[in-house]
Order: sequence, then structure tokens, then C-alpha cells
Amino acid sequence: MGNKQTIFTPDLSFYCRLFYRYRDLAPQLVPLDYTDKPDVTLPYELIGSMPELKDNPFRQRIAEVFSEDGEGNMTLDDFLDMFSVLSEMAPRDLKAYYAFKIYDFNNDDYICKSDLEKTVNKLTRNELTPEEVSLACDKVIDEADLDNDGKLSLEDFQHMIIRAPDFLSTFHIRI
Amino acid sequence: MVMQGDRGRCCRGTGAIQGPHGDAGGLGQVLGLLRWQWQEVQVPCLVAAWILVASLAKIVFHLSRKVTSIVPESCLLILLGLGLGGIVLAVAKKAEYQLEPNMFFLFLLPPIVLDSGYFMPSRLFFDNIGAILTYAVVGTLWNSFATGVALWGLHRAGLMDPGVKAGLMDFLLFGSLISAVDPVAVLAVFEEVHVNETLFIIVFGESLLNDAVTVVLYKVFNSFVELGPAHIHATDYVKGVVSFFLVSLGGTAVGLLFAFLLALITRFTKRVRIIEPLFVFLLAYVAYLAAEMVSLSSILAVTFCGICCKKYVEANISQKSRTTVKYTMKTLASSSETIIFMFLGISAVDTSKWAWDTTLVLGTLLFILLFRAVGVVLQTCVLNRFRLIPLDRIDQVVMSYGGLRGAVAFALVILLDGAKVKAKDYFVATTIVVVFFTVIVQGLTIKPLVTWLKVKRSDHHKPTLNEELHEHAFDHILAAVEDIVGHHGYHYWRDKWEQFDKKYLSQLLMRKSAYRLRDEIWDVYYKLNIRDAISFVDQGGHVLSAAKLALPSMPSRTSMSESSVTNLLRESGSGACLDLQVIDTVRSRRDKEDAVMHHVLRGSLYKPRRRYKASYSRHFISPDKQERQDKEIFRQNMKRRLETFKSTKHNVCSSKSKARLKEKGRKKATHRVPHPPTIPPYLAAAPVLVMVSSDEEESNSSETEREDDEGIVFIARATDEVLQGKKTPGSLDVCPSPCIIPPSPTLAEKELPWKGDQADLAVYVSSETTKIVPVDMQKAWNQSISSLESIASPPGIETGPQHKRFTCPVLEEQPQSASQVTPEQRSCFQFPSHVSKSSRSQSDSSPDGTEQQELQPLMAAEEPNRIVPSTEPRWLIQFNRASHL
Repeated sequence: MGNKQTIFTPDLSFYCRLFYRYRDLAPQLVPLDYTDKPDVTLPYELIGSMPELKDNPFRQRIAEVFSEDGEGNMTLDDFLDMFSVLSEMAPRDLKAYYAFKIYDFNNDDYICKSDLEKTVNKLTRNELTPEEVSLACDKVIDEADLDNDGKLSLEDFQHMIIRAPDFLSTFHIRI
Repeated sequence: MVMQGDRGRCCRGTGAIQGPHGDAGGLGQVLGLLRWQWQEVQVPCLVAAWILVASLAKIVFHLSRKVTSIVPESCLLILLGLGLGGIVLAVAKKAEYQLEPNMFFLFLLPPIVLDSGYFMPSRLFFDNIGAILTYAVVGTLWNSFATGVALWGLHRAGLMDPGVKAGLMDFLLFGSLISAVDPVAVLAVFEEVHVNETLFIIVFGESLLNDAVTVVLYKVFNSFVELGPAHIHATDYVKGVVSFFLVSLGGTAVGLLFAFLLALITRFTKRVRIIEPLFVFLLAYVAYLAAEMVSLSSILAVTFCGICCKKYVEANISQKSRTTVKYTMKTLASSSETIIFMFLGISAVDTSKWAWDTTLVLGTLLFILLFRAVGVVLQTCVLNRFRLIPLDRIDQVVMSYGGLRGAVAFALVILLDGAKVKAKDYFVATTIVVVFFTVIVQGLTIKPLVTWLKVKRSDHHKPTLNEELHEHAFDHILAAVEDIVGHHGYHYWRDKWEQFDKKYLSQLLMRKSAYRLRDEIWDVYYKLNIRDAISFVDQGGHVLSAAKLALPSMPSRTSMSESSVTNLLRESGSGACLDLQVIDTVRSRRDKEDAVMHHVLRGSLYKPRRRYKASYSRHFISPDKQERQDKEIFRQNMKRRLETFKSTKHNVCSSKSKARLKEKGRKKATHRVPHPPTIPPYLAAAPVLVMVSSDEEESNSSETEREDDEGIVFIARATDEVLQGKKTPGSLDVCPSPCIIPPSPTLAEKELPWKGDQADLAVYVSSETTKIVPVDMQKAWNQSISSLESIASPPGIETGPQHKRFTCPVLEEQPQSASQVTPEQRSCFQFPSHVSKSSRSQSDSSPDGTEQQELQPLMAAEEPNRIVPSTEPRWLIQFNRASHL
């Protein structure tokens, strides 16, 4: 956790802003004093219930991927981790890894067809028929599946992303 | 000479058309057979003649690829214009023709701007809108003021000819018109350079959006000059600033308003498809005129009208209208551009307007280059702090160098009032030199420069579904993260806009039917399919035609669309013209013909892909899915067929075999339990069989009788094979019909997936030895997979022979079925056994096939030739022979 943060430039105001934002999510839970590292977690319900997020199809998945317990309950470290991954200085592989994890809904280290179907369904807000989704997913796997095992491994995913050079360069957030 | 010849030819043309009219008129007065009516047709005839000359010249230019690859077309056109102008001058002793500002602004400019706005890649444009706006507004302001003041400084220093009577305001006016980057010139040159999309969109977007700044500065300074420096009050400056916002935002608002109207109108044109394209052009032009009328920025109006209406209009209008709009727009824009450049050349000949001052000309050239470079560097410094992908030095060089001036500047300088602006003649001369210098010298050198600097070119990599999918997903993910952190950044606003668009705008502006189809991921899937199909038909078209598909017009249609696609790509070859926008040839399920065409295309398309994929994957699932979609298309047909079958005498037989096969099927199912992944595809595949049969029967009515019999047997089995899967060799009797090339490979493959595919491995392996395998990291995978397969395959291989054992008696126990069925079954059995032999021998080499996917592009040319004919037709022949026994 901690060593990942070293890729940030030591911009304290940035951390302060993140911390206050984190605290704003649940002022009653998060203490202002973090010197003795209190064990505070934000339950997923708090993040998921944010009004801005109610239309976002990936809200739960993001929380799950970046939270340490995999349930969507985020500590401050998780919160900071999320931004270190999305910062410009994060290495490309790390970004690819986390992007991959977001797609990997069943956590089996492969993007299999069911994962993709979930993604497509989320993206299209269930407007496609199951057959269409299935066809599209086949095509996606077909395009990127190098070892032809019918699912995408992390290597497949990275290979595909390296082929499209601008791809991960958009996976940034500037705060 | 050329001119007059053309004029004469043109007159004759129009004369012939007007002949009857002339005769009728003549009859009334004197009985003259013909009357010379040059005066009546002069103007349109001249226009037509010029367009003809320009178009013919274009043809001549493109006769030599070498010339056009080095010299941009715009340069050639300007040179041609110079030549023609010289001829006209020599013949008529005075310069007759030149680029009239009115004609330019009212007729020539709108098509170009509409074209660029309509085909603007909106995502790219809005991704870079910050940079574009900065360069367009700040950059243009900086350029015009700096140039104007610097020139004024030169003048004050006494370096200029005393004939140049101009004050600060005159120079600022001149600076405002000379500093704006010109969209026509930028487009003409950058289209041929193919720099990367980001660079292109920034320069081009700037050239479009700086119009507002240019218009305002020009008007403000013009009125200042006319008022005289003494009468300018402080409020005038404030008014100038206010008018900038008014002109730019007003122009944009007009554009948005008309885009809304346009989208709304096209929503209701369902019954009058034929005039759909007209609305697009008409409303965009009205938007231009409306903005011009109230002296708002007309370029902004048309640009935004085009950008914003496209999504809805494209969804609403029919496929044919879309093509019409695309072609008409490209034709209009292209011819306008041609005429503009040619007339620029012609206008330059008119020496009566020239007043040369070397200092002014050289000073202007130096300053516009210098200040543009300085401006770009300074702005990029600031912008890079906010940009995700910073613009590097090379980008900045290209951006500075790509700031071409063009016809807008020329038209504006011609519009100056010579009485008020004393130095107009000097300005005209300078403008012409600047325009010529930028278009010819910079246009000529930018290509070598880009190559020399190794600027990132636009890579025409094919758009993939993955990219589309991940782009959407990333958008949502980033928007979510921005939401969590409470940072209202770019993603936040885009997310909000998309939700708004989805909830309200699309509902309001799109047809209900179109709305559903606008799903982007599905869209891309379709376009990819069509593109693959087209490319397949392109390279292996003979397979398709050999198949004698049910749709006789198919091959010609596809080839036509293919050529149109390549033409369009060539025409608008800029990187900004993404493949996706060009190749939207077929809309899904719009009408039945499209559906059938799509089906046929895909049937032929997926053969090679299936082949290579199935050649080493046993977990192969896609073909049956695709065919399952065919079910939708042919559902009606099938139902009808099934009804007739059920009523025939063979009912008994089918039910009997059904019961038996079910039994076997259950056994099979238990057999295959240790190998679960293979089951679902086979189970899913079974219904497809039914479809195929009905399809095939529909396609060739000549064999209906005989196939009816077969069909019954076959269908009966097919339905119960839902349980058993496709492994019964009996299912192969779909093949007898010679016209079902597309479905047959699937059946054969599904029947014995590993074997059928490994039979092809002989081809693969042999070809692979000659090819260098590019991806080393696949080795590890191959090994692991081969080990996996060796573990997993024994039960699978065993099931094959067992099938034969099981199904053999069943099929032979069908005395009721038509006599030719039995021989067919035998032929079917022959096939698997011979395949299985080869499969055994090749089984150790199967992992090598894994790399085949890497080689797929290389193999693409070979695959259709080798595999498709080698497998299916051979089988077909066998079956046919068998059936005739």
C-alpha cells in the first residue's frame, strides 16, 4: 500500500484534498486525526449511494476492485491507491492490471465470456438481447484472445492494449 | 485558348438544350430557325465552364501519381489558375475573372465547412476542445495583434515605401485578416500529409473555430479605420469585446438551433425518403445564411450544425440517403475547394490591384511565421499542464508550420474599402504572396518535414470491438472515480452529457426504431462484420460466387460498396476520417434485403476465421452462435417448412429415430461429463441445423422434392440431437445441397471439431514452417495448452468413434426414409474416419496451430483458397455422388 504512493510527487495539498473528500463521504466515521492510523473503513453502501454515481454502471465494481477486502469497503489507503493507479505517473502495466481487474467480475484472473457479457450489459444498460450480447462478446474474445482458450488472460489484455498506443494514455485522472 | 474552347463547347451544350425554346420564340416574330442567345445563358454557362475546367484539370493532375504524391493538389490548382489567368489576361487584355468575396462566402465556403463539420470526428474534437479553443481564440488574437503592431513598427521605422499610407489601425486590420489559419488550405494540405489524429484535429479545429475571432477583429478594426482614430471611444473597445462573445456564441447557438431542427425534421421523413438528403443541405445552408444575415460567425454556425446533427440525422435517415449525403457533400466540398484554389491563382494575375512593397511582404511573411511559432510554443506550455497527452516539440513544429493562410484572407482583403483603407493595394499584394507562400512552399515542404521529423502518423489500424468496449468502459470508470472524489472534470461532464442525451435528446430526436439501433457497441460489431465480409469478398470473392448464393445481386453489390468505401477513404484520406464512419454500409435488420445480404456475407466471412480458430481450440463456440442468429432471419421460413414436414408420412420414422437418438444422446451426455466446456456449444448448436436445412431448401427449389425427404429425416434427428450434440455423422447430410457452402463447414466442424480442424492442420503446419512466428511469448502458452489438451482430449476422441458406433445402426435402421439417405450416411462415415486418421497423426502438432491466429492476416489470402475449397467442395462432391448411387 504505502510504497505505491511514492510514485506521487509529494504534493501535500493533493493528499489533503483527497483526505477531505474521503472524510466528506462519512464525516461521522472518519476522524480528522489519522496519526495513530485508526482502522476506519467506508462501507460500500456509502459510496454506492452517492447521487452522482447512481447512473454509473461500474460503481460497485470500482469499489470492489480497489478495496482491500474485495467487498467495496474502502479504507483511506484504498482510496489513495485508487488515485495512484489513475495518476499519470503510474506505470502502464499497473494501469492495465487494474483495468483488467475491473473487467474480471468473478475474480478468476481471466476475463471470460460471462465477465464480458456483464460488462456489455452494464455498458448498454441491458438494451441488447442476450444473443446480441453473446455475439459481441465472442467477437471481443476473438479479437484479443491470443492463446485461444476462449477467455482473456492478463497477457492477452496487455497485448491488446500495447497494440493500441493511445489506449491507456486516456486512463488518467487529473485532479 | 483553353478557356474559349471550353466556353464554346459549353455554349453548344446549353444551346442544344434550349433549342426548342428558341424555336418557339423565333416562330412568333421572324421565322428564324436558330437564335444566338449568349446573353441569356452567359452566367451559368461560365460557371459551368469553370467547374468543368477545374474538374478536368484535377483528372489531369491525377494521371500521374508521382506528381500528386509530391505536390499537393492545391498547389497545382493555384498554378493552373495562374496559367489560365495569364491566358485570359493576354487574350482579353484585362483580368476578367477573379475570386469575388460574395461568391466565395455565399457559395464556395459553406460546402467545405459543412463537410468538415459533418464528418468531424466529434469525440476527438470534443476531447481536444480545450486546446482547439485556446489556439483558435488566444492564438489568433495574439497573432493578429503581434503581426499588426510589428508591421506598424516597421512602418514607423521608415523601412516601408512611403506609398504605404497606413496607421496602426490599418495594420491591425491587416493583421487580423492575415493571421487567421484558413480551413480550406489546412484541409487541402493536411489531408495528404496524414499526421496523427490529435495533431490534425487541433490544427483543423483551430482553423474552423478562429473564424469568430477573425470576423470580429476584422469588423471592429474595419469600423475603427472607417471612423478614423480620432473618433474611437473607450466604449468601442468594450463593444468589440462584447461583440466577440456575441458573434461566437451567437453563431454556435444558430448552428445548434438548426441542428436541432434538422434532427427533428428527419425524424418524420419516413415516407419521403427521397428528400431526406435535401433537408441536410438545405437546413445547414439556411443556418449559414441566417448567421451571415445577423453578422454572426457563419462558419461556427455550420460547423456546429454539422457536428451536432450528425448523430441523430444518421440514425434517422435511410441507408441510401446516408450515402447520398456523404457523396454529395464530398463532391460539393471537393469542387468548391478546387474552384477556390484555381480562382486564387487567376485572381493573382490581376496586376492592377497589385502594389508591391518588399518590406511589407517580407515583413509580413517573417512575422506570421515567427509569431505563430512563438504563440504555439507559449500556448502549448500552458496547455500541457492540463493535457493528458502533452504535445511534444515535434507536434509544436508541425502546428506552427501548418498554419496555412488561404482564400478567407484573400476574400477579406478584397472586401476592404479602397477609399477608407489607403494601403489596400499593398495589402492585397501582400496577402496574395502570403497565401501563395503558405500554400505552395509550406504545402510542398510539410510532407518531407513530417517525414523527416518522424511525426507520429495516423495509423490506419482497424477499429476493434475491444477498443470500443474498453473506451466506453473506461469512460464510465473514470467518470465514477471523478464522482467519488468529487472532482468535476472532463469525464464528469461528458458522463452527464451522455446521460442527458440518452434520456431526453435521443428520445426526442430519434425514431423509436433507430434509437434502439444506435447502441454503439452493437454498431461497431456490425460494422466490423461488414468490413470483414467486404475484405473477405475482396480477396476470396470467387469462393462466394462459386457458392452461387441465393442472392444473385450479392457479389456485385458488395464489390460496389467496397469500391465506394475505398474511394471515400482515398478522398477524405485524412486520419480524421475514421473507418467506422465510412464503412457503415449496411444497417442491421432495417429491411429484409439487408438482413439477407448480411447473412450471406457473414456466412462466407466466417469460414476462414472459424477454420483457423477451430483448428486448435476445442472450446470453440462462436459459429453456432452466429448461426443461431440466422435463426431469426429464417425463422418464418423454417416454421413453414416444419409444418409441411410434420404433415408428411415420414413422421413415423422421425419420431422413431428421435426416441432412439435421445437415448444415445443421454449416454453421450454422461460420457462427456468429464469435459464440460464442450457441451454447451454442441447443445446450442443443434437447433441451427434445422435452420440451415430450411434455408438450403429455400435456396434451390429444383431439388426440393428429393431434399424434402432428406430434410425430414434430417430434421427429425436434428431436433433430438439437441441432447446428443452434433457428433452424429448423420448430421452431415445437410451437405448434399450444392448451394449451402456457408453452413456446411460449420456442420462438418461441429461434427468432429477437433478432428475436422486438425485435418486442416496439415495446411497450417506446412505454411507455418515458412513463416516467422512473431510472438515468442506464445510458446509458453502453447505448451501449457497442448498439455491441457492432451489431458482433456482422450474422452473427446473416444466419443467420436463411439458416436459412429451408436449412430450407425440407428441411421441404417431407417427403412422408411428415402433410399438415397443410406449411401449418404456411408459417405459421411468415410469422412470422419479419414479425418480422424489425419487428426491422430497431426495431434502432436496441434499446439503449433495456436500461433496461427497471429498469422491470420498473413494467412488470410491463403486460407480461403486452400481450406474452403479443399474441404467443403470435396465433401459435397462425395455426397452428391453418393446420393446419385
